Amino acid sequence: MIAAIAFKLSHLQAMLLFSLVISIAFGFLSRRQPAERVKYIAWSLFLFLLIGVGIGWAMYPFSR
Amino acid sequence: MADETLAPLAPPQDSRREAIAFLIGAAGWLVPGLGHAILKMWGRAAACFLTVALLVILGAGMRGNVFNSNGNDAFDRLGYIADLGAGSFYFVARSLETNGADVSHADGDYGTRFLAAAGVLNLLAALHAYEAARGRKA
Repeated sequence: MIAAIAFKLSHLQAMLLFSLVISIAFGFLSRRQPAERVKYIAWSLFLFLLIGVGIGWAMYPFSR
Repeated sequence: MADETLAPLAPPQDSRREAIAFLIGAAGWLVPGLGHAILKMWGRAAACFLTVALLVILGAGMRGNVFNSNGNDAFDRLGYIADLGAGSFYFVARSLETNGADVSHADGDYGTRFLAAAGVLNLLAALHAYEAARGRKA
């Protein structure tokens, strides 16, 4: 039997991990050259975080 | 009116290539990264395998919902299709989640999304491998 694993992540940690993993996958799938991949991953990660935090702040007025 | 009997048939080589491409796509779906590995795209194969594996381990560790075929509504069925996209890793997620899902906390909800994202990402990678095997620019 495989032992149960458990992760406790904050909202920010979950968003960071998700953004990073998806950006890496997108970068490898859509670009061939290493330099282009790194650029794509960095840009994609930046946009993920910017849009994620932006949507978070846009929802803030409705949170209470 | 065009005479259908004169319509050119697909050369046998093309249909064979199409069948091989389909098998490569199916292999990529079954084992994340295998489709690219068969095509000797090692970087992409490793990236697909590791990212899907990481998402599945994180999703199961956060006690996300691994949907099964007995869904109650359309969302459950959609979730099942997304989870199945991870191929063999769907069963890895099920075996890792020995304590069952817990979506009463944010962690479990995020875990559900991580698992679904792993499936959809793997489907995208399998489709990419299929297109590459067909000779499309990838």
